[in-house]
Amino acid sequence: MNKSMYLSIGVITMILGVMLAVQFRTNRFIEQSVPADRAQELQVEYSKLEKDIRKFDREIEDLTYKLEQAKKGQMQAREAIQDELKKARINAGLVTVSGPGIEVVMDNPPSQSRRNSIFIIRDVDLLRVVNELWGAGAEAVSINGQRMISTSEIRQAGSFININLERIEPPFQILAIGSPEKLKSALEISGGLADYFKDLGIVVKIQSHSSLTVPAYSKSLQFNYAKAVWKG
Amino acid sequence: MRPKPFHLALALVGLVLGILLSVQFRLTTETMKTPQVSRVQAMAAKVNEARSERDRKQEQVNKMRADLDKIAAGAELGPLRVDLTAARIEAGLAGVTGPGIEVTLNDSNMAAKPGENPNLYVLHDEDILRVLNELRAAGAEALAINGQRVLATSEVRCTGPTILINRNQRLTPPFVISAVGNQDNLANSLKMRGGVIEYLQVFGIQASVKKVSNLNIPAFSGVISFDYAKPEAEVRNNQ
Repeated sequence: MNKSMYLSIGVITMILGVMLAVQFRTNRFIEQSVPADRAQELQVEYSKLEKDIRKFDREIEDLTYKLEQAKKGQMQAREAIQDELKKARINAGLVTVSGPGIEVVMDNPPSQSRRNSIFIIRDVDLLRVVNELWGAGAEAVSINGQRMISTSEIRQAGSFININLERIEPPFQILAIGSPEKLKSALEISGGLADYFKDLGIVVKIQSHSSLTVPAYSKSLQFNYAKAVWKG
Repeated sequence: MRPKPFHLALALVGLVLGILLSVQFRLTTETMKTPQVSRVQAMAAKVNEARSERDRKQEQVNKMRADLDKIAAGAELGPLRVDLTAARIEAGLAGVTGPGIEVTLNDSNMAAKPGENPNLYVLHDEDILRVLNELRAAGAEALAINGQRVLATSEVRCTGPTILINRNQRLTPPFVISAVGNQDNLANSLKMRGGVIEYLQVFGIQASVKKVSNLNIPAFSGVISFDYAKPEAEVRNNQ
Protein backbone atom coordinates (compact mmCIF):
# COMPACT_ATOMS: atom_id res chain seq x y z
CA MET A 1 0.00 0.00 0.00
CA ASN A 2 1.29 3.41 -0.83
CA LYS A 3 1.42 6.47 1.36
CA SER A 4 -1.37 8.42 -0.43
CA MET A 5 -3.80 5.69 0.46
CA TYR A 6 -3.01 6.01 4.18
CA LEU A 7 -3.41 9.73 3.85
CA SER A 8 -6.86 9.50 2.28
CA ILE A 9 -8.05 7.04 4.88
CA GLY A 10 -6.71 9.34 7.55
CA VAL A 11 -8.69 12.31 6.11
CA ILE A 12 -11.87 10.32 5.81
CA THR A 13 -11.67 9.12 9.40
CA MET A 14 -11.12 12.67 10.56
CA ILE A 15 -14.26 13.89 8.78
CA LEU A 16 -16.14 10.98 10.25
CA GLY A 17 -14.97 11.97 13.71
CA VAL A 18 -16.05 15.57 13.30
CA MET A 19 -19.44 14.50 12.00
CA LEU A 20 -19.95 12.18 14.91
CA ALA A 21 -19.19 14.97 17.32
CA VAL A 22 -21.65 17.33 15.58
CA GLN A 23 -24.25 14.62 15.56
CA PHE A 24 -23.83 14.05 19.26
CA ARG A 25 -24.20 17.73 20.04
CA THR A 26 -27.34 18.03 17.91
CA ASN A 27 -28.85 15.15 19.80
CA ARG A 28 -28.25 16.83 23.12
CA PHE A 29 -29.66 20.05 21.75
CA ILE A 30 -32.87 18.36 20.76
CA GLU A 31 -33.29 16.89 24.20
CA GLN A 32 -33.09 20.38 25.62
CA SER A 33 -35.71 21.93 23.38
CA VAL A 34 -39.27 22.42 24.52
CA PRO A 35 -42.43 20.98 23.01
CA ALA A 36 -44.23 23.49 20.83
CA ASP A 37 -47.44 23.52 22.91
CA ARG A 38 -45.58 24.70 26.01
CA ALA A 39 -44.28 27.66 24.10
CA GLN A 40 -47.80 28.39 22.87
CA GLU A 41 -49.15 28.26 26.40
CA LEU A 42 -46.62 30.88 27.41
CA GLN A 43 -47.63 33.03 24.47
CA VAL A 44 -51.29 32.81 25.46
CA GLU A 45 -50.51 33.70 29.05
CA TYR A 46 -48.43 36.62 27.91
CA SER A 47 -51.18 38.12 25.81
CA LYS A 48 -53.63 37.71 28.69
CA LEU A 49 -51.24 39.51 31.01
CA GLU A 50 -50.77 42.28 28.48
CA LYS A 51 -54.53 42.72 28.27
CA ASP A 52 -54.68 42.88 32.07
CA ILE A 53 -51.92 45.45 32.17
CA ARG A 54 -53.70 47.64 29.64
CA LYS A 55 -56.85 47.49 31.76
CA PHE A 56 -54.85 48.42 34.84
CA ASP A 57 -53.29 51.34 32.98
CA ARG A 58 -56.72 52.70 32.14
CA GLU A 59 -57.84 52.21 35.74
CA ILE A 60 -54.74 53.99 37.04
CA GLU A 61 -55.34 56.87 34.65
CA ASP A 62 -58.92 57.12 35.83
CA LEU A 63 -57.97 56.99 39.52
CA THR A 64 -55.14 59.49 39.05
CA TYR A 65 -57.59 61.96 37.57
CA LYS A 66 -60.06 61.43 40.39
CA LEU A 67 -57.37 61.82 43.05
CA GLU A 68 -56.12 65.03 41.43
CA GLN A 69 -59.64 66.39 41.28
CA ALA A 70 -60.24 65.40 44.87
CA LYS A 71 -57.24 67.39 46.05
CA LYS A 72 -58.57 70.58 44.47
CA GLY A 73 -61.36 71.08 46.94
CA GLN A 74 -64.43 69.79 48.67
CA MET A 75 -66.69 70.16 45.65
CA GLN A 76 -64.35 68.33 43.32
CA ALA A 77 -63.69 65.66 45.92
CA ARG A 78 -67.39 65.03 46.19
CA GLU A 79 -67.67 64.73 42.43
CA ALA A 80 -64.72 62.37 42.19
CA ILE A 81 -66.13 60.11 44.89
CA GLN A 82 -69.52 60.16 43.22
CA ASP A 83 -67.86 59.15 39.98
CA GLU A 84 -66.07 56.31 41.67
CA LEU A 85 -69.29 55.25 43.35
CA LYS A 86 -71.02 55.17 39.99
CA LYS A 87 -68.33 52.92 38.58
CA ALA A 88 -68.41 50.58 41.58
CA ARG A 89 -72.21 50.40 41.36
CA ILE A 90 -72.03 49.40 37.71
CA ASN A 91 -69.46 46.73 38.52
CA ALA A 92 -71.54 45.48 41.42
CA GLY A 93 -74.69 45.11 39.32
CA LEU A 94 -76.58 47.89 41.06
CA VAL A 95 -77.23 49.73 37.81
CA THR A 96 -79.50 48.77 34.94
CA VAL A 97 -77.45 48.01 31.84
CA SER A 98 -78.23 47.58 28.15
CA GLY A 99 -76.38 45.95 25.32
CA PRO A 100 -76.38 43.09 22.85
CA GLY A 101 -76.94 39.60 24.17
CA ILE A 102 -79.23 36.62 24.25
CA GLU A 103 -82.55 35.67 25.75
CA VAL A 104 -83.02 32.12 26.97
CA VAL A 105 -86.49 30.94 27.81
CA MET A 106 -86.83 27.65 29.65
CA ASP A 107 -90.08 26.00 30.57
CA ASN A 108 -91.14 22.73 32.15
CA PRO A 109 -92.45 20.07 29.80
CA PRO A 110 -96.05 20.86 28.73
CA SER A 111 -98.58 19.47 31.19
CA GLN A 112 -100.11 16.87 28.84
CA SER A 113 -96.74 15.16 28.50
CA ARG A 114 -95.76 15.66 32.08
CA ARG A 115 -96.90 12.15 32.84
CA ASN A 116 -94.05 10.85 30.70
CA SER A 117 -91.52 13.18 32.12
CA ILE A 118 -90.95 13.48 35.80
CA PHE A 119 -88.51 16.23 35.14
CA ILE A 120 -89.00 19.81 36.18
CA ILE A 121 -86.43 22.58 36.09
CA ARG A 122 -84.56 22.79 39.37
CA ASP A 123 -82.20 25.32 40.91
CA VAL A 124 -79.13 23.39 39.78
CA ASP A 125 -80.26 23.59 36.16
CA LEU A 126 -80.52 27.37 36.27
CA LEU A 127 -77.22 27.52 38.13
CA ARG A 128 -75.56 25.60 35.32
CA VAL A 129 -77.03 27.79 32.60
CA VAL A 130 -75.90 30.94 34.39
CA ASN A 131 -72.42 29.50 35.00
CA GLU A 132 -72.16 28.64 31.30
CA LEU A 133 -73.14 32.19 30.39
CA TRP A 134 -70.53 33.71 32.71
CA GLY A 135 -67.99 31.34 31.22
CA ALA A 136 -68.89 32.61 27.75
CA GLY A 137 -68.16 36.16 28.84
CA ALA A 138 -71.58 37.42 29.91
CA GLU A 139 -71.32 40.81 31.62
CA ALA A 140 -74.77 40.96 33.17
CA VAL A 141 -77.38 38.26 33.71
CA SER A 142 -80.92 38.34 35.06
CA ILE A 143 -83.52 35.64 35.59
CA ASN A 144 -87.14 36.71 35.53
CA GLY A 145 -86.08 40.24 36.34
CA GLN A 146 -83.72 39.29 39.17
CA ARG A 147 -80.22 40.55 38.48
CA MET A 148 -77.51 38.05 39.35
CA ILE A 149 -74.94 39.76 41.56
CA SER A 150 -72.05 38.20 43.41
CA THR A 151 -74.17 37.31 46.41
CA SER A 152 -77.23 36.12 44.47
CA GLU A 153 -78.44 32.63 45.19
CA ILE A 154 -80.62 30.37 43.04
CA ARG A 155 -82.30 28.12 45.48
CA GLN A 156 -84.97 25.51 45.45
CA ALA A 157 -87.63 26.19 48.05
CA GLY A 158 -90.18 23.42 47.73
CA SER A 159 -91.58 23.59 44.24
CA PHE A 160 -90.44 27.16 43.74
CA ILE A 161 -87.11 28.72 43.10
CA ASN A 162 -85.84 31.74 45.01
CA ILE A 163 -83.43 34.24 43.56
CA ASN A 164 -82.35 37.20 45.65
CA LEU A 165 -84.94 35.91 48.15
CA GLU A 166 -87.68 36.51 45.58
CA ARG A 167 -89.83 33.65 44.40
CA ILE A 168 -89.68 33.07 40.65
CA GLU A 169 -91.78 30.71 38.62
CA PRO A 170 -91.47 29.06 35.21
CA PRO A 171 -91.18 29.93 32.40
CA PHE A 172 -87.74 31.21 33.26
CA GLN A 173 -86.54 34.06 31.13
CA ILE A 174 -82.78 34.46 31.35
CA LEU A 175 -81.25 37.61 29.86
CA ALA A 176 -77.52 37.86 29.31
CA ILE A 177 -75.51 40.75 27.91
CA GLY A 178 -72.34 39.91 26.04
CA SER A 179 -71.29 38.72 22.63
CA PRO A 180 -74.50 37.10 21.28
CA GLU A 181 -72.58 34.59 19.15
CA LYS A 182 -70.36 33.45 21.99
CA LEU A 183 -73.22 33.21 24.48
CA LYS A 184 -75.44 31.36 22.05
CA SER A 185 -72.82 28.87 20.97
CA ALA A 186 -71.81 28.16 24.58
CA LEU A 187 -75.30 26.83 25.22
CA GLU A 188 -75.99 25.33 21.81
CA ILE A 189 -72.71 23.48 21.34
CA SER A 190 -73.59 19.89 20.53
CA GLY A 191 -73.74 17.85 23.70
CA GLY A 192 -74.11 21.13 25.57
CA LEU A 193 -76.73 22.31 27.99
CA ALA A 194 -79.42 23.08 25.39
CA ASP A 195 -79.21 19.53 24.03
CA TYR A 196 -79.24 18.10 27.53
CA PHE A 197 -82.38 20.00 28.50
CA LYS A 198 -84.13 19.13 25.25
CA ASP A 199 -83.44 15.46 25.92
CA LEU A 200 -85.15 15.84 29.27
CA GLY A 201 -88.18 17.35 27.57
CA ILE A 202 -87.56 20.86 28.79
CA VAL A 203 -88.51 23.57 26.33
CA VAL A 204 -85.49 25.77 25.62
CA LYS A 205 -85.63 28.78 23.31
CA ILE A 206 -82.54 30.84 22.65
CA GLN A 207 -82.71 34.12 20.80
CA SER A 208 -80.06 36.72 20.01
CA HIS A 209 -80.92 40.38 20.50
CA SER A 210 -79.02 43.43 19.35
CA SER A 211 -80.13 45.25 22.46
CA LEU A 212 -81.34 43.93 25.79
CA THR A 213 -81.90 45.59 29.12
CA VAL A 214 -80.87 43.79 32.27
CA PRO A 215 -82.38 45.38 35.36
CA ALA A 216 -80.40 46.50 38.39
CA TYR A 217 -80.33 44.60 41.66
CA SER A 218 -83.30 46.16 43.39
CA LYS A 219 -82.58 45.60 47.08
CA SER A 220 -80.23 47.50 49.29
CA LEU A 221 -76.89 45.98 50.16
CA GLN A 222 -76.15 45.13 53.73
CA PHE A 223 -72.90 43.95 55.11
CA ASN A 224 -73.14 42.93 58.74
CA TYR A 225 -70.01 40.83 58.89
CA ALA A 226 -67.70 41.87 56.08
CA LYS A 227 -65.50 44.88 56.62
CA ALA A 228 -63.56 46.43 53.76
CA VAL A 229 -59.80 46.37 54.00
CA TRP A 230 -57.48 48.38 51.81
CA LYS A 231 -54.07 47.07 51.16
CA GLY A 232 -51.80 49.83 49.96
CA MET B 1 -7.67 -3.97 -10.76
CA ARG B 2 -8.37 -6.59 -8.18
CA PRO B 3 -10.29 -5.38 -5.11
CA LYS B 4 -7.95 -5.17 -2.18
CA PRO B 5 -9.05 -5.31 1.50
CA PHE B 6 -8.71 -1.56 1.88
CA HIS B 7 -11.21 -1.02 -0.96
CA LEU B 8 -13.73 -2.87 1.14
CA ALA B 9 -12.84 -0.74 4.14
CA LEU B 10 -13.28 2.41 2.08
CA ALA B 11 -16.70 1.30 0.88
CA LEU B 12 -17.73 0.63 4.50
CA VAL B 13 -16.54 4.03 5.63
CA GLY B 14 -18.44 5.65 2.74
CA LEU B 15 -21.63 3.84 3.77
CA VAL B 16 -21.40 4.97 7.39
CA LEU B 17 -20.67 8.49 6.24
CA GLY B 18 -23.75 8.50 4.02
CA ILE B 19 -26.05 7.30 6.83
CA LEU B 20 -24.61 9.85 9.21
CA LEU B 21 -25.19 12.62 6.71
CA SER B 22 -28.83 11.74 6.17
CA VAL B 23 -29.56 11.40 9.90
CA GLN B 24 -27.83 14.68 10.51
CA PHE B 25 -29.93 16.36 7.85
CA ARG B 26 -33.20 15.05 9.23
CA LEU B 27 -32.30 16.03 12.76
CA THR B 28 -31.42 19.54 11.71
CA THR B 29 -34.73 20.09 9.95
CA GLU B 30 -36.54 18.72 13.00
CA THR B 31 -34.70 21.03 15.35
CA MET B 32 -35.70 23.97 13.26
CA LYS B 33 -39.34 23.07 13.80
CA THR B 34 -39.22 22.90 17.61
CA PRO B 35 -38.85 26.21 19.39
CA GLN B 36 -35.44 26.72 20.82
CA VAL B 37 -34.84 26.50 24.51
CA SER B 38 -33.36 29.95 24.55
CA ARG B 39 -36.40 31.45 22.85
CA VAL B 40 -38.80 29.72 25.21
CA GLN B 41 -36.70 30.84 28.15
CA ALA B 42 -36.86 34.40 26.86
CA MET B 43 -40.62 34.04 26.53
CA ALA B 44 -40.90 32.68 30.06
CA ALA B 45 -38.84 35.59 31.32
CA LYS B 46 -41.13 37.99 29.46
CA VAL B 47 -44.18 36.33 31.02
CA ASN B 48 -42.65 36.60 34.49
CA GLU B 49 -41.85 40.23 33.94
CA ALA B 50 -45.37 40.95 32.70
CA ARG B 51 -46.76 39.13 35.71
CA SER B 52 -44.78 41.22 38.15
CA GLU B 53 -45.72 44.35 36.23
CA ARG B 54 -49.37 43.41 36.55
CA ASP B 55 -48.94 42.75 40.26
CA ARG B 56 -47.25 46.12 40.68
CA LYS B 57 -50.07 47.87 38.87
CA GLN B 58 -52.59 45.93 40.93
CA GLU B 59 -50.93 47.21 44.08
CA GLN B 60 -50.90 50.72 42.74
CA VAL B 61 -54.60 50.53 41.93
CA ASN B 62 -55.35 49.17 45.41
CA LYS B 63 -53.39 51.99 46.96
CA MET B 64 -55.12 54.63 44.87
CA ARG B 65 -58.53 53.20 45.78
CA ALA B 66 -57.49 53.35 49.42
CA ASP B 67 -56.42 56.98 48.96
CA LEU B 68 -59.77 57.82 47.46
CA ASP B 69 -61.40 56.09 50.38
CA LYS B 70 -59.42 58.28 52.78
CA ILE B 71 -60.63 61.37 50.97
CA ALA B 72 -64.17 60.09 51.17
CA ALA B 73 -63.67 59.65 54.89
CA GLY B 74 -63.39 63.44 55.11
CA ALA B 75 -66.11 65.06 57.15
CA GLU B 76 -68.92 65.80 54.73
CA LEU B 77 -68.59 62.79 52.51
CA GLY B 78 -69.53 60.26 55.19
CA PRO B 79 -72.76 58.86 53.72
CA LEU B 80 -71.22 58.76 50.26
CA ARG B 81 -68.38 56.70 51.64
CA VAL B 82 -70.74 54.14 53.15
CA ASP B 83 -72.35 53.63 49.75
CA LEU B 84 -69.00 53.49 48.01
CA THR B 85 -67.66 50.87 50.40
CA ALA B 86 -70.76 48.71 50.06
CA ALA B 87 -70.69 48.89 46.26
CA ARG B 88 -66.98 48.13 46.24
CA ILE B 89 -67.41 45.08 48.47
CA GLU B 90 -70.26 43.80 46.34
CA ALA B 91 -68.27 44.36 43.16
CA GLY B 92 -65.22 42.65 44.62
CA LEU B 93 -63.14 45.83 44.32
CA ALA B 94 -62.36 45.85 48.01
CA GLY B 95 -60.77 43.12 50.06
CA VAL B 96 -62.80 42.20 53.13
CA THR B 97 -62.23 40.78 56.53
CA GLY B 98 -64.69 39.30 58.98
CA PRO B 99 -65.92 36.14 60.65
CA GLY B 100 -66.87 33.26 58.45
CA ILE B 101 -66.18 29.70 57.45
CA GLU B 102 -63.68 27.83 55.36
CA VAL B 103 -64.86 24.83 53.40
CA THR B 104 -62.20 22.44 52.16
CA LEU B 105 -63.14 20.09 49.35
CA ASN B 106 -61.02 17.36 47.89
CA ASP B 107 -61.44 14.47 45.50
CA SER B 108 -62.74 11.22 46.92
CA ASN B 109 -60.33 8.90 48.66
CA MET B 110 -62.53 5.93 47.83
CA ALA B 111 -61.52 3.83 44.88
CA ALA B 112 -64.27 3.30 42.34
CA LYS B 113 -65.31 -0.35 42.27
CA PRO B 114 -65.04 -2.13 38.95
CA GLY B 115 -67.96 -1.16 36.75
CA GLU B 116 -68.62 2.01 38.67
CA ASN B 117 -68.28 5.40 37.12
CA PRO B 118 -65.04 6.86 38.47
CA ASN B 119 -66.40 10.27 37.53
CA LEU B 120 -68.69 10.11 40.55
CA TYR B 121 -65.74 10.20 42.88
CA VAL B 122 -64.14 13.29 41.46
CA LEU B 123 -65.02 16.79 42.49
CA HIS B 124 -66.80 18.67 39.71
CA ASP B 125 -67.43 22.29 38.89
CA GLU B 126 -71.07 21.66 39.64
CA ASP B 127 -70.26 20.57 43.19
CA ILE B 128 -68.40 23.78 43.79
CA LEU B 129 -71.27 25.74 42.26
CA ARG B 130 -73.65 24.06 44.67
CA VAL B 131 -71.49 24.91 47.66
CA LEU B 132 -71.13 28.52 46.55
CA ASN B 133 -74.84 28.77 45.93
CA GLU B 134 -75.66 27.30 49.31
CA LEU B 135 -73.33 29.76 51.01
CA ARG B 136 -74.90 32.67 49.14
CA ALA B 137 -78.34 31.51 50.19
CA ALA B 138 -77.10 31.43 53.79
CA GLY B 139 -76.14 35.07 53.52
CA ALA B 140 -72.46 34.96 52.60
CA GLU B 141 -71.27 38.49 52.03
CA ALA B 142 -68.02 37.76 50.23
CA LEU B 143 -66.65 34.55 48.74
CA ALA B 144 -63.31 33.29 47.50
CA ILE B 145 -61.93 30.00 46.21
CA ASN B 146 -58.26 29.34 46.89
CA GLY B 147 -57.77 33.05 47.41
CA GLN B 148 -59.54 34.07 44.20
CA ARG B 149 -62.42 36.41 44.85
CA VAL B 150 -65.72 35.15 43.47
CA LEU B 151 -67.56 37.85 41.55
CA ALA B 152 -71.02 37.79 40.05
CA THR B 153 -69.42 37.12 36.69
CA SER B 154 -67.11 34.38 37.97
CA GLU B 155 -67.54 31.08 36.23
CA VAL B 156 -66.40 27.77 37.65
CA ARG B 157 -65.18 25.30 35.08
CA CYS B 158 -63.63 21.88 35.15
CA THR B 159 -60.58 21.54 32.99
CA GLY B 160 -59.12 18.14 33.64
CA PRO B 161 -58.06 17.83 37.25
CA THR B 162 -57.99 21.59 37.71
CA ILE B 163 -60.73 24.17 37.94
CA LEU B 164 -60.79 27.41 36.05
CA ILE B 165 -62.22 30.54 37.62
CA ASN B 166 -62.23 34.22 36.66
CA ARG B 167 -61.18 33.38 33.10
CA ASN B 168 -57.55 32.55 33.59
CA GLN B 169 -57.03 31.49 37.16
CA ARG B 170 -56.35 27.78 37.27
CA LEU B 171 -56.89 26.20 40.67
CA THR B 172 -55.85 22.76 41.83
CA PRO B 173 -57.40 20.68 44.59
CA PRO B 174 -57.85 20.86 47.47
CA PHE B 175 -60.29 23.69 47.00
CA VAL B 176 -60.73 26.01 49.93
CA ILE B 177 -63.85 28.13 49.75
CA SER B 178 -63.89 31.06 52.16
CA ALA B 179 -67.11 32.84 52.99
CA VAL B 180 -67.60 35.84 55.25
CA GLY B 181 -70.94 35.95 57.00
CA ASN B 182 -72.82 34.51 59.95
CA GLN B 183 -70.75 31.47 60.88
CA ASP B 184 -73.59 29.35 62.21
CA ASN B 185 -75.86 30.03 59.27
CA LEU B 186 -73.13 29.32 56.77
CA ALA B 187 -71.94 26.12 58.43
CA ASN B 188 -75.45 24.80 59.05
CA SER B 189 -76.55 25.46 55.49
CA LEU B 190 -73.88 23.07 54.27
CA LYS B 191 -74.11 20.50 57.03
CA MET B 192 -77.87 20.15 57.22
CA ARG B 193 -79.52 16.81 56.53
CA GLY B 194 -79.83 16.24 52.82
CA GLY B 195 -77.53 19.20 52.29
CA VAL B 196 -74.59 19.59 50.00
CA ILE B 197 -72.02 17.97 52.25
CA GLU B 198 -74.12 14.90 52.85
CA TYR B 199 -74.65 14.66 49.10
CA LEU B 200 -70.91 14.93 48.40
CA GLN B 201 -69.95 12.49 51.11
CA VAL B 202 -71.99 9.74 49.51
CA PHE B 203 -69.26 9.68 46.90
CA GLY B 204 -66.51 9.97 49.44
CA ILE B 205 -65.64 13.49 48.45
CA GLN B 206 -63.78 14.97 51.34
CA ALA B 207 -65.46 18.03 52.73
CA SER B 208 -64.70 19.79 55.95
CA VAL B 209 -66.05 23.00 57.41
CA LYS B 210 -64.04 25.17 59.74
CA LYS B 211 -65.21 28.32 61.48
CA VAL B 212 -62.69 31.12 61.31
CA SER B 213 -63.19 34.24 63.39
CA ASN B 214 -61.08 36.45 61.17
CA LEU B 215 -61.17 35.55 57.52
CA ASN B 216 -59.39 37.63 54.93
CA ILE B 217 -60.78 37.68 51.43
CA PRO B 218 -58.77 39.57 48.82
CA ALA B 219 -60.14 41.94 46.22
CA PHE B 220 -60.58 40.68 42.68
CA SER B 221 -57.15 40.47 41.07
CA GLY B 222 -57.96 42.29 37.90
CA VAL B 223 -60.01 45.11 36.51
CA ILE B 224 -63.67 44.65 35.75
CA SER B 225 -64.57 46.23 32.46
CA PHE B 226 -67.67 45.86 30.38
CA ASP B 227 -67.37 45.83 26.60
CA TYR B 228 -71.01 45.16 25.84
CA ALA B 229 -73.07 46.27 28.80
CA LYS B 230 -73.66 50.01 28.97
CA PRO B 231 -75.22 51.62 32.02
CA GLU B 232 -78.71 52.90 31.43
CA ALA B 233 -77.97 56.56 32.19
CA GLU B 234 -75.10 56.60 29.72
CA VAL B 235 -77.27 55.12 27.00
CA ARG B 236 -79.79 57.88 27.54
CA ASN B 237 -77.10 60.55 27.42
CA ASN B 238 -75.87 59.31 24.09
CA GLN B 239 -79.25 59.46 22.49
